[in-house]
Amino acid sequence: MKKSKVKVRICLGTACFVQGGADLLLFNDFVDPAVLAECEIEGCSCLDECKVGNGSAPYVSINDKIYSGVNQDMFCKLLAEAVKNA
Amino acid sequence: MLELNNQYTLMKRKIDTEVLKCFFDGTLVEQADKLPLEIIPKTRVPFRCCIYKERAMVRYRIMALAGINIERDDDEEKPLAEYMKEVLSEDKPPLPLLTTIITGCSGCPKSQYRISDGCRGCFARPCMSNCPKDAIVFINGQAHIQEDRCIRCGKCMEVCPFHAVVHIPVPCEEACPVDAVKKNEEGFVEIEHDKCIGCGKCVRSCPFGAIVERSGLFPVAKMLKRGEKVVAMIAPAIEGQFPGSLGQLKAAIKKAGFYDVVEVAEGAEVTSVKEAEELHERISEGANFMTTSCCPSYMELVDIHIPYLKEKRSSTLSPMGYTAEIVREKYPDAKSVFIGPCLAKKVEAAKRYRDKIDGVMTFAELASIFIAKDIDVREMEADDLGDTASFEDCREFAVTSGVAACVMRRFQAEGVNARTLPINGLDKKTVRLMKTWERRAPEAELVEVMACEGGCIAGPGTIVKPALALKLRSQKMAPVKSK
Repeated sequence: MKKSKVKVRICLGTACFVQGGADLLLFNDFVDPAVLAECEIEGCSCLDECKVGNGSAPYVSINDKIYSGVNQDMFCKLLAEAVKNA
Repeated sequence: MLELNNQYTLMKRKIDTEVLKCFFDGTLVEQADKLPLEIIPKTRVPFRCCIYKERAMVRYRIMALAGINIERDDDEEKPLAEYMKEVLSEDKPPLPLLTTIITGCSGCPKSQYRISDGCRGCFARPCMSNCPKDAIVFINGQAHIQEDRCIRCGKCMEVCPFHAVVHIPVPCEEACPVDAVKKNEEGFVEIEHDKCIGCGKCVRSCPFGAIVERSGLFPVAKMLKRGEKVVAMIAPAIEGQFPGSLGQLKAAIKKAGFYDVVEVAEGAEVTSVKEAEELHERISEGANFMTTSCCPSYMELVDIHIPYLKEKRSSTLSPMGYTAEIVREKYPDAKSVFIGPCLAKKVEAAKRYRDKIDGVMTFAELASIFIAKDIDVREMEADDLGDTASFEDCREFAVTSGVAACVMRRFQAEGVNARTLPINGLDKKTVRLMKTWERRAPEAELVEVMACEGGCIAGPGTIVKPALALKLRSQKMAPVKSK
């Protein structure tokens, strides 16, 4: 049975973008290609988390679950985890 | 130099944003002294020795953001509120560009090479054979460097097969291309302002954040708040620094309170045309080479350190200069503000265009205004950029080799040949190279000099890494080119 891909959305609201979210857009350079192949990554409009959440920018949504304060390292781990559990 | 996104730059952006929020709410004076406590809460696990030092550093950062000369005007007994009152009532003079926070300086030990435990005490001992000063001795089967003999050439580090030699630099001294940053007798950082060329490399290299730029943000924010008619001149490097398209960015800048937005690429076209004419003229007259004149840090370098190049650089104004003229013509009653990636532009504006340009700020500071005012670039409806066809290619001014390319495209070759040479980034080595040109001219007629490696897209006031900026720029340029 074919697994469905992990849906990843990187918040591109201005606040997220300038506080490290932009770095995540270079995912091709730092995420394991094997993991990338299982993911569908896209930039998205502001997730509005900054207005309600207690976390910090940048925000990322993985299969509709929101993560805050994501840096490159954490991004790799979250993706690998999500792919494993898919 | 440090990676662009590190804990320090993130902290800086947070501080900028919080200060601006208070400023636009009109609560800056009341809130100022509470800000360090809010930004560094009791529960934070500190990166410096303790939260109290971190709070002190936030206080200094706020002062630098307000344009206060910390070296001269620091008074620990004076509350931030008093400083803010001062800044709100009058603008601080723009120069000197940089100031130091001695409290933050770690007083790094002087630059040295050291041999680590990794030394295997091998038989070949290439470190010993290659040391030009016989500074390496072996004690108990391990190499040691005799400090008094070492000239810090780094040869031992190059040849060690185990990478056992480490270089421990003083980052600020190492980064400064003109040796304007030195440690004083107590071992703390000191800037010789009359030697400084404003490149901002020391600011970005210090991992403790002990060197800061005196920001020009407040004078601009005050103009916006007073509702004055202010025109934003956006540097070509802005493409790729924000999410969304240039049209959306224009709309966002206008929403932030600017009256209109003019691309500096428009002035860059004038620069290219005039520089191409000047190059042709100079070659026909038998001159051996000419350099560009758009990089303000390079202009300072020539003025202060390499005077013979004064007659070699083109007399054409920078794109900012021509853009200011365009704005003056279009909106005679408006003020103009340059928004760019550059710290040295503030020096250029203050020294050459005092009457034409009313403010200079960086992309990172613009981002803080957006966040403080809750403006989302990507959600804006794109504004019409007007007819950009004639100067579209001049957005390349922001990338190394781009200036030379734009000039050559407008160069009428007729009987003269012109080769180009890019100087991609100023450091101690390229400065030495440029000094040798007095005796032996470079093998090119047009020399393009950019102080930042990679071009303006790698400037100290940028937001995203150059690699990403290039990627975003090419994506946006793609549909334009395929037409």
